[in-house]
Amino acid sequence: MKELALNEPGRTILAMGNDAVVRGGLEAGLGYFSTYPGTPASEIGEGYVSLKEEFPHIHAEFSVNEHVAAHGAQGASWAGVRSMTAMKHVGMNVAAEVLHFAAYTGVNAGFVVVIGSDPGATSSTSEQDDRWYSLHTHLPLLEPADIQEAKDFTKLAFGLSERYDLPVVLNAPSKLCHNIGSLSLGPLPAEFPSAGRFEKDPSRYINLFAGSVANHRRAMENAARLAAGAPSHGLNRVIPGTGPLGFISSSVNFLYLMEALAILGITDAPVMKLGMTYPLNTGEIAAFAKGLERIIIVEDLEGFLEFQIKSALYGAGVTVPIEGKSIFPPFGELDVDLIVRLLAERLKKPLPKAMSRSIELAAKHTADIPPRQGSFCIGCPHRATLYSVVKATGRNAVFAGDIGCYTLSCLPPFSAFDWVTCMNCGVGIGQGIRQVMKEGDMIAYVGDSTFFHSGVPGLINAIQQGASMVLMVLDNKWVAMTGHQPSPTTETDVDGRKLNPVDIKGLLKSIGIKYVRTVDPFNIKAATAAIKEALRQKEGVRVIIAEAECALQYGRRLRYEKPGYEVYYQIEPGICQKCDECYVHFGCPAIRRGEKGGAHYYYIEEASCLNCGACRDLCPNSAISRVEIKRGGKKEKAS
Amino acid sequence: MTRYDILICGIGGQGAISLGTVLKLAAIRDGLGVAGAERRGGAQREGVVTSNVRYFEGRGESVSGLIPAAGARMMIAMEPLEALRQALYLNEGSVVVVNDFPLAPVHVRIGQYEYPSRETIYARLQEFTPHLYAFNIDEMSLNHFGSLRQVNTISLGMAFALGNMPVSRDSLLGVIRDRFPDFEANRKAFELGIEAAGKAPPL
Repeated sequence: MKELALNEPGRTILAMGNDAVVRGGLEAGLGYFSTYPGTPASEIGEGYVSLKEEFPHIHAEFSVNEHVAAHGAQGASWAGVRSMTAMKHVGMNVAAEVLHFAAYTGVNAGFVVVIGSDPGATSSTSEQDDRWYSLHTHLPLLEPADIQEAKDFTKLAFGLSERYDLPVVLNAPSKLCHNIGSLSLGPLPAEFPSAGRFEKDPSRYINLFAGSVANHRRAMENAARLAAGAPSHGLNRVIPGTGPLGFISSSVNFLYLMEALAILGITDAPVMKLGMTYPLNTGEIAAFAKGLERIIIVEDLEGFLEFQIKSALYGAGVTVPIEGKSIFPPFGELDVDLIVRLLAERLKKPLPKAMSRSIELAAKHTADIPPRQGSFCIGCPHRATLYSVVKATGRNAVFAGDIGCYTLSCLPPFSAFDWVTCMNCGVGIGQGIRQVMKEGDMIAYVGDSTFFHSGVPGLINAIQQGASMVLMVLDNKWVAMTGHQPSPTTETDVDGRKLNPVDIKGLLKSIGIKYVRTVDPFNIKAATAAIKEALRQKEGVRVIIAEAECALQYGRRLRYEKPGYEVYYQIEPGICQKCDECYVHFGCPAIRRGEKGGAHYYYIEEASCLNCGACRDLCPNSAISRVEIKRGGKKEKAS
Repeated sequence: MTRYDILICGIGGQGAISLGTVLKLAAIRDGLGVAGAERRGGAQREGVVTSNVRYFEGRGESVSGLIPAAGARMMIAMEPLEALRQALYLNEGSVVVVNDFPLAPVHVRIGQYEYPSRETIYARLQEFTPHLYAFNIDEMSLNHFGSLRQVNTISLGMAFALGNMPVSRDSLLGVIRDRFPDFEANRKAFELGIEAAGKAPPL
């Protein structure tokens, strides 16, 4: 049995932050879960889906987008079943319309919204701080600091949600979602009530005119009741100290702060750790501030705590100098080192010798080394598609970028990608540019999952308004970048189960696109010709579907369906002209550079190569050969 | 022991996170507290990946997942340039085990940067710590096992032999037995790492 499913209270397991959230939901008796995958929160959905055998009564789904996912979880809660929806921070923008009504209507069973935030934008296009949403959604906000709290707070959130008739938000940054550490399990409930029914209640559910105003009022009163309720609800605590300088922090930054204080030898400072950061309990904070000469607030991004605490203490008549964003930057991600350095500067404390030595040496010795950027995986169809796009256009076009693995097209060696902001910014912004930019070519990209997420309305608009562009649909059949969740075009799961894919070509035709071509990206010559041909047609939206399954998923399925022969690709040293076409311009990591007798040569690293064959297709000198062998047989050149 | 921090660094696809997981699971078996943070490089191939493994005593205690500057007792580097990239976390007592098999980043392939010479990389690392051990582990794995599959188990054996880690050999091997296929090859690879480490003086 999977460890996350064990009913062994007190047992310690190794868990990722996201696993801990999954377990918290299980311990709370969750009945409904919905998500649109987004790093760093994707593994929460994977967790519930992978536990379908152990917990068959939990409905768990990858929804088409965050708006739909949030609606679904709201519906389940209305029908009396504990529900959860999870998304990355920018997903909150998509779900925001739903969640601005969630406090108005309240809940009939605990409703928890999990946000994976991303200070430092380590896997996102923005580092927006979703905590500010709570000031206008009035949804209570919990910020766990470690893996244990990620579980405990999740469980607690369901109870708070029911007691105060409000959905509760749990916000965890990537440095908690993806941390892996020890987790002590609690008991699982004996029963999981997962059958619900909808009880009509027009005063709550019909939000019109005066009824809407009344619900707004109730939402705010519920939040005020929660703020004034039992101090801290077990979520906040104070680490006592006798010094005149106090600290307030939340989330993983609390642990960074404690370590930074230890490194700097500050042992007498009282520290308040906030687990619930909206609504704030003013009395609790005023009591902490009493007698302190100064307070420093340590948090990521734009000062959500500082803003609230300054306002709360002013209202309570407590005057104490408060610093936060005057010391720590309002952008980027904090870590122990940054907190140590900035506090040392502000408090005029010396850094420990070993630390300043390493910082000085690293500044001297690591600043000039080559960066190492990510790249398409070996065998990735997007690499082949982008190679063809570059060949067909000579980069002489506007490239409307979007969100997915293909966002890496912005990097060398391809550099054929001109913007990325939010989901479906490619066609959406591109069609606007097209109305005012009459000359030249435009190529827009969209992946299958991104297209279904919110791309259809933008495309319909582009068709109706007659925008001229070639839309490349990079259909790799999976939500690949977030770890391979199924997309609406997934045909076969990795274990071989057949799914019901949406016919993307049929859909495109039905909304009025007349020019649709499907290409095999690994057939470089045919794909390049198809792109050139589509560019020659100047009218309207022309679509090329570059259809090939994500190489990683395809490779995983080969474990189940082994072909009777093996294929190898080899660079023939006598024929290779070292023209760099495969090594530099195609840039596949399985193609390596070796040296022998002072000269360099290229070779294909057999253990890494996934046999996509694109390099053989693009080699101008026919120097790459394909070798086929029967299992257990001898290598033979096939062509 | 109150703390023991291990930094694993490599390139997307090399298995840095899996190796970190082995070291963390061994701690659970040995009753140690463990925390850690991973840098996943956007889940992409070829990017920078690190795994922080932090052992501590006392189950009630909590530490953050991030190792502070100069905090690593042990570094397991799967590529020389990546060892240098993370050198900020080394101190004079840190032990570094490097797989001496350079892999060119994209910027080197396209000619924007030159890959530093081995001599440069190791001379710089030695300014941080004298306890630097470099082995061509790719070659060892190919020679002994005919594939690259055992590279990380060999490096784990080396780190275990050189690092005075608080986790036990039995726990490490137990985790490997439970999680990976072909235990016999992995056990041999682990022993091979220990043996090679015993023979090698620091660079």
